[in-house]
Amino acid sequence: MIQFESVTKKYPNGQIALEDIDLKIEDGEFVFLVGPSGAGKTSLLRLFTREIWPSAGRILFNEEDILKIPSSKIPYLRRKIGTVFQDFKLLLTRTLFENVAVPLEVVSKSEKEIEETVSGVLEKVGLLEKADMFPAQLSGGEVQRTAIARAIVSKPSVLLADEPTGDLDPKTALSIVKLLEKINEEDKTTVIMATHNAQIVNHFKKRVVYLKNGKIEKDEKEGKYEAD
Amino acid sequence: MRQIKKTVKLLRRSPYQALAAGLAMTLTFFVASIFAVLIIGGQIVLNYVEQRPQVIAFFKDDASQTKINDIIAKVKSTGLAKDVKYVTKEEALAIYRERNKDEPLLLESVSADFLPASIDISVNKAGDIGAVTQAVKGEPEIERVITPQNLVEQLVKWTSTIRAGGIVFVTALLAISFLIIIMVVGMRIALRRDEISIMNLVGATKWYIARPFLAEGAVYGVIGASISTFLIYALLLIYSRSIQNFLGPIQVFPISPLFFIYLWVGEALLAAAVGVSGAAIALYRYLKIK
Repeated sequence: MIQFESVTKKYPNGQIALEDIDLKIEDGEFVFLVGPSGAGKTSLLRLFTREIWPSAGRILFNEEDILKIPSSKIPYLRRKIGTVFQDFKLLLTRTLFENVAVPLEVVSKSEKEIEETVSGVLEKVGLLEKADMFPAQLSGGEVQRTAIARAIVSKPSVLLADEPTGDLDPKTALSIVKLLEKINEEDKTTVIMATHNAQIVNHFKKRVVYLKNGKIEKDEKEGKYEAD
Repeated sequence: MRQIKKTVKLLRRSPYQALAAGLAMTLTFFVASIFAVLIIGGQIVLNYVEQRPQVIAFFKDDASQTKINDIIAKVKSTGLAKDVKYVTKEEALAIYRERNKDEPLLLESVSADFLPASIDISVNKAGDIGAVTQAVKGEPEIERVITPQNLVEQLVKWTSTIRAGGIVFVTALLAISFLIIIMVVGMRIALRRDEISIMNLVGATKWYIARPFLAEGAVYGVIGASISTFLIYALLLIYSRSIQNFLGPIQVFPISPLFFIYLWVGEALLAAAVGVSGAAIALYRYLKIK
């Protein structure tokens, strides 16, 4: 379970990204984090991976206060969280296979294990036949699926996806979110997807947390989203 | 195995930087090797000279055996002499004959009466030569004292200068190599910033990220030390005859292979320490991960 308790994030330039956020997400949930640009969606996700530090409040993950975890233990927290970044963060000089293998390499898995696991995940996202291609040779949707594959390859209990449908056409965007839904249902992975794509949110009828100006304006079980 | 592959990959990615770092290390440890050989060689020469009788005092022909024994006892009582050897007229003649056995003309007219008896004194330390010389010089039974004091003093002075110069020069070169390693590893960190950031976000520990850079620093060091040891070995092998001719009776060659093994191990350890420290500073300075 993930809990944000009275979390506020104020940047050094004075900008308040999040203000007094209280949010509870159960294991295995699929949550859309919606809101206009600058609403605080990305800040919320980055707080959870401890890339940034809150100005106030507590963040609990499985009842452990992640703000009390020493820096040396943060990598172990991050291994439980898969992240699909807004800008993909793929290594352009590495093949798809090598990109997806990175989270397994950093935990020193054997080459055989990496080979088997990465192949399995690439098959799941429909990219096995393109394993030896480089990111520059792929379409936008394929790049996004590669980023998802890398995020789930180490079987995290939580998957964060920051605007994964950003620059994609509606059909591809839909296929990407369907893939996230499949991961959520099959692997019981908690999925938190930040987006401002109303069409997608309304199609899936999932929990919707609406953020505006750093505050939660709405939190609905099968919510709808009307873009501002 | 995977670590070796990663390090080789790192080196191949920007070979010119790797070459610069490797050459700097090689030059540093080649110069260090030269100084090491000079210092050790100088010490061997000094030991040789110190083991020879450094003070020879010749007795007057009329010196009585009692007085000679008194003088020997006096020298021994100073505590500065390692060995005092009395050479009688007959023994002196035997030595003379041995040295000039190929020159019959020189042997013909010489008898024991022509040669003085003497005492050959070896001192404990080269610095004691002056005191021992003074102790025997004042004796009325002593005709003449000869001493290679100047040669020993010169040798001591030279070896000290080489040692001091070597330390200064090698330290300066080590500092340059150290800075080059910091620069090269720093550039590599900058080139791999994206990769490092991704590894950090997917759960890599700082140690996992730092390890290849530290290994790279160690590799530069070990390569530099190995090449320099090989070069100094080759040079000594090529010039061994000339050096031995120059040194005359002072036997230096063949140099034990153990010397080169110790030199290589010592230099490789020092070089690896320099490489790893340089890489560690670069990591501390440039690796900003959250």
